[in-house]
Amino acid sequence: MSALANIKIVSQLLDLPIIDKDERSCGIVDDIELSGGAGKELRVSALLVGPGAYEGRMPRWLYWLTRKIAGDRMARVPADQIVEIGSVVKLKSRGEALGLHTVEDEVRTWIPRKGAL
Amino acid sequence: MARKLLLLLLTLASCSKGPEADLQYVSDARSVAAEWALVNEQAAQGKLTRTYVDSMHQWLRQQMQTDSSSLSQPKSAYAAEIAAVLDQPDDAAPAQLRSYADRLKQIEDSLESA
Amino acid sequence: MNPLELTLGIMTAVGGFVDISELVFAAKAGSTFGYALIWAFVLGTIGMSVFGEMSGRVAAIAKQPVFNLMRHRLGLKLGLVTLMGSLISTLITCAAEVGGMALILNYLTGWPYPLLALLSVIALMASMWILPFKWIERTYGLLGLMMIVFAVALVAIHPPWAKLAGGIAPQVPPGLSTKELLNYSYFIVAILSAVMFPYESYFYSSGGIEEGWGAKDLLTNRVTCTVGFGLGSLLAIAILASSAQLFGPINVSPEIPGTSALEAATPFGKAGLLLALLGMLFAVAGAAVETCMSNAYAVSQFFGWEWGRHAKPSEAPRFTVAWIAVMLLALLIVLTGVDVMSLVEYAVLFSIIVLPLTYLPLMLLANDKSYMREHANRWLAKALGWLFFVVVTAAAVAAIPLYLLTSGGGG
Repeated sequence: MSALANIKIVSQLLDLPIIDKDERSCGIVDDIELSGGAGKELRVSALLVGPGAYEGRMPRWLYWLTRKIAGDRMARVPADQIVEIGSVVKLKSRGEALGLHTVEDEVRTWIPRKGAL
Repeated sequence: MARKLLLLLLTLASCSKGPEADLQYVSDARSVAAEWALVNEQAAQGKLTRTYVDSMHQWLRQQMQTDSSSLSQPKSAYAAEIAAVLDQPDDAAPAQLRSYADRLKQIEDSLESA
Repeated sequence: MNPLELTLGIMTAVGGFVDISELVFAAKAGSTFGYALIWAFVLGTIGMSVFGEMSGRVAAIAKQPVFNLMRHRLGLKLGLVTLMGSLISTLITCAAEVGGMALILNYLTGWPYPLLALLSVIALMASMWILPFKWIERTYGLLGLMMIVFAVALVAIHPPWAKLAGGIAPQVPPGLSTKELLNYSYFIVAILSAVMFPYESYFYSSGGIEEGWGAKDLLTNRVTCTVGFGLGSLLAIAILASSAQLFGPINVSPEIPGTSALEAATPFGKAGLLLALLGMLFAVAGAAVETCMSNAYAVSQFFGWEWGRHAKPSEAPRFTVAWIAVMLLALLIVLTGVDVMSLVEYAVLFSIIVLPLTYLPLMLLANDKSYMREHANRWLAKALGWLFFVVVTAAAVAAIPLYLLTSGGGG
């Protein structure tokens, strides 16, 4: 499927996994930013990734709990970074360049590198 | 609506006491006595390791103790029967343990048909 | 298809089929209802094969595991409900397996149960840290093959084979009282749940991705799910049948897992006992690893984290933290003193309730030609898939009322 030609936002884009140019998992499409307006052409301008994007998609009490546990960080991935949309969304760049993969890199510092075959 | 709820609560409350509520513990205890007898029988035939036998004795006795302390009628005939099993030594004769299991089975059957 | 790989895959599936829940319910079902519940194991195994094959096929063709695609299908809110339900039921199951391991080690060594629970978790975590995915799965699966002693023991005690075969047909034994009928129904639900645990689909599909499955592996997938699971279920049926033959007539309805080992001790003495206990130990240990990793897979895939043991632990850091957390939580549950049999009851109860939410998105995905192309479900997979979906949904609805009415199968 080519990126963003004509797309069904809910059934073909929302909640898809995202992988970067190195095929690493970089989150899920948690929400979508649209540009345009009523009576005008609507375009997907960015993917929103992170617990901060859950606001508006869940009840207030649940979002409050989510923020307490996971924070409210959110990365904005411009639409022109999308290479392909299929069973996953593939990106042009490495995750770090787009503000993704940051928590993974932070948690990596906790994990010993020895002992595994 | 309130009346129906009250009736349901009363029914549930009545189920939580009395011989019928104790049926599951009598059934458990019957099986534990029978398992104990089987372990001792197989041990006497040299088919089991000592460690396994000791471990099984410990767990079976613990299960029987749990059943005994869960009974809502501690002065009943079946409570006395279960207490009598608990008084047995770990290496009690299989036939003796089996006779307790058989008696508990009879009590279980009569509670079920009551 | 590499014959050695295929054989190892089948053997791993056989050795890894039985877990503490199947052990417990097979023995109880046999002693309580004779051979009359063999069909429930057969039905559950067919269902497991159907959904296992679908989840493996989805992994091989869509190259995505079930939980990734499940969130996309169900959306965030319903997806979160499914995730939470799955995490809770699988955590309880993991705790039951860890407790089961500690019990079996107690039968073998006599060491204190809490210490053995701690040592079990340390050993499991060490194996998950050191070994890559393929060898985690193979080690426990192949060592679990010692469970074959149960099948050999059954043959040795000369059961009435015609009667045993009669148990394959779905039936309601004649002359059951209302209470016994409710109990029988509860056992059907519990057996279906124990055989078709949700964690098995998650683990199997994630495992397919871990092993880099593609279209060339579809036949391996199909053979593993049919032959592997089928042969594995024979071990559970052997435990049931031996229990019917040995325990039923003497009023034993195994109240502790260790009693099942007597099925091998009766014909073979100490050698049989030790093989049975060691087989049980590794089968249950394998299930502990699968449940732990399944939860880590679920949460990692749902939130889009790096995941998998095909990579080193530091290459999938949040996934690593997740499986360590699950294992430690399971240990904490065991150390509260709740007994293993109760954990098994809760595990089957929670799991059957979650099962319809697990299988529905899987079926929709496997039917979807945009993901699956020419490998989408054909008429047989569709028919069987929907049939078993109805069966598990009915079981899920009946589970809690039956549990309450029968005091968890106690009568």
